[in-house]
Amino acid sequence: MIVQTWSQHVVALPVAFPLAGCALTALVFRRNRRWQGLTAVAFMALGLISSTLLLGDVLISGEPRVFHLGGWPAPFGIALAGDLLGATMAFMCQIVLLGGVVYGVGCRDKCAQFPTFFPFFLALAAGLTGSMLTTDIFNLFVFAEVVVIAGTVLTAISDDRKGTEAAFKYFYISQFAAMALLVACGTLYAAYGTLNMADLARLIEQTPYHPLLPFAMVLLLVSFMIKSAVMPFHFWQPDFHTAAPTPVHAVLSSVVVKLGIYGFMRMTTLLFIEPEAKALIENTLIVCGCAGVIFGGLGAAGTYDAKRMLAYSTLGQLGFILVAVGWGTPLAMAAAIIFAFNHSLAKAAMLMLAGAVASRAPVKTAAFDRIVGLGRLRPVAGILFLFGGMALAGLPPTNGFISKLAVLQSGVEAGQWLPLAVLAAASIITLVYVARAFQTIWLKPIPEGVEPKPYGDQLLAPFALVAGCLALGLYAQPLVELAILNSQWMLESRQEYIDAVIGTMSEAQDRIQELSP
Amino acid sequence: MEVLTALSVGIMMAVGVYQILRRNLIRSAIGLMLVANAVNLFVIYCGAYRGDVPAYVDVAGARSDPLPQALVLTAIVIGMGGFAFVLAMIYVFCVRYGTGDMDKVDRLKH
Repeated sequence: MIVQTWSQHVVALPVAFPLAGCALTALVFRRNRRWQGLTAVAFMALGLISSTLLLGDVLISGEPRVFHLGGWPAPFGIALAGDLLGATMAFMCQIVLLGGVVYGVGCRDKCAQFPTFFPFFLALAAGLTGSMLTTDIFNLFVFAEVVVIAGTVLTAISDDRKGTEAAFKYFYISQFAAMALLVACGTLYAAYGTLNMADLARLIEQTPYHPLLPFAMVLLLVSFMIKSAVMPFHFWQPDFHTAAPTPVHAVLSSVVVKLGIYGFMRMTTLLFIEPEAKALIENTLIVCGCAGVIFGGLGAAGTYDAKRMLAYSTLGQLGFILVAVGWGTPLAMAAAIIFAFNHSLAKAAMLMLAGAVASRAPVKTAAFDRIVGLGRLRPVAGILFLFGGMALAGLPPTNGFISKLAVLQSGVEAGQWLPLAVLAAASIITLVYVARAFQTIWLKPIPEGVEPKPYGDQLLAPFALVAGCLALGLYAQPLVELAILNSQWMLESRQEYIDAVIGTMSEAQDRIQELSP
Repeated sequence: MEVLTALSVGIMMAVGVYQILRRNLIRSAIGLMLVANAVNLFVIYCGAYRGDVPAYVDVAGARSDPLPQALVLTAIVIGMGGFAFVLAMIYVFCVRYGTGDMDKVDRLKH
């Protein structure tokens, strides 16, 4: 048993608050929807505050905070580690998750009135944050399963009649991802006898040519690719995301897909740093990223539904991040973090705005031919959509400009001209489809005979997110500095992470002495 | 023994994947369960050949490794929850679409 300080306990709070909120909303407040919504928002806000505290603490002290669950020291027990990357990702997720909960409170969908909506939403939040903070691969599997099951249930109860079908499709494919992750766990355990990522990193560095290692690497890669809908494993994503209720779609399509990105970052900078393995992963990411950028852009330009367009757009935008992770230079890693952060804010806001317009349609749908001109009823949403679209397409003065600039500049620095050309071409496609959606929804007149509903979803959450996009576009300094610190941390301080989680070897020996009777 | 366990896991996985690809929804759900259990067996076998006697029992001999068993226990519980949810979704399909044939559950295509 080891005694832990308060600053160590802070690491567990971003996971603990949503979990507690999940239990409370499910058990205590299930009869009163107003109280349920308020509790959900309060606990999500507490989660965001604690993850902000964690990020601030890690930034100021410059070293990771590690919380050993149950007081069992790390290689034997499960540890939650708030290192700079994990804390940044958790912070990013919780901003958008809070936005999603706030949107859910003001949402007119029938499924958002069910007493199970907020408990599942908070479970999704807890699972997502937990998988960014944990250091144990099996624990990552469990948290990822929580995310999958919560997301699937939320989609299966969607107002969209296709919801159950899409959820079924997603559940099957994500079960395969989970199985791949579990087999990878087993393989790594058989090879190295540990599942702690820091311990694994140390052992893999010592014996990098274990015969089981390539299997584990490929299985991890496949599992994370399915989780973040990378090009060859993307086929479920547009269907599933389109059918999800708007607040859930906003969260799924912006931050849940970042789980895979986080996994890739951990793989290339922590677990597999041996040059051959690293080059294999990075080249795979670059190829898949470029394919995703083209396919996602063309898919978004050719689709018939506003929400589906944005789901395809996620495929394309994730391609940018993958390519940046694949380049792997310090600037490219920083660019990947900046892009991930900005894309989360912009995409969540855009989806909420599209959903808010769709909520006014006579039949609940976001198909372009049904929502022609409905934006005229909500001019504020149009202005927000315009800014969000600029952020997505990468135009100044929004944050999208900063992130695209960073990615392209890192490509120039790395001398990768072919992927650069693909990315630049895809940026233009983004502009085309966003402009087309804006024109259809806000500029065309409402056709004869369409009677829109007199009320719709509230715009508070997308307003806050678009304000965030603009603020980060006009004053990008803090985010850029945070991303550069992150990339330095990932690429240079690997050993510090390992030491912080499992301690130095002599400490580990002492702990074994302590534990054995 | 290792060859036998490896073969049994492989066959179970193959049968599961084949069943998942069938059109009948119930068969595909059973296939999913088979795949999940093949993976669970695989994880158990990852630690099965270390040690001879159960862990945490006062018997002389090399103790076996309890961790894979603990992992599999968790995975079984998660798998069971997921399987129940899949069956619930299949029930919804039977009510809404009036069929157990996967090819007729096709509103996403239109």
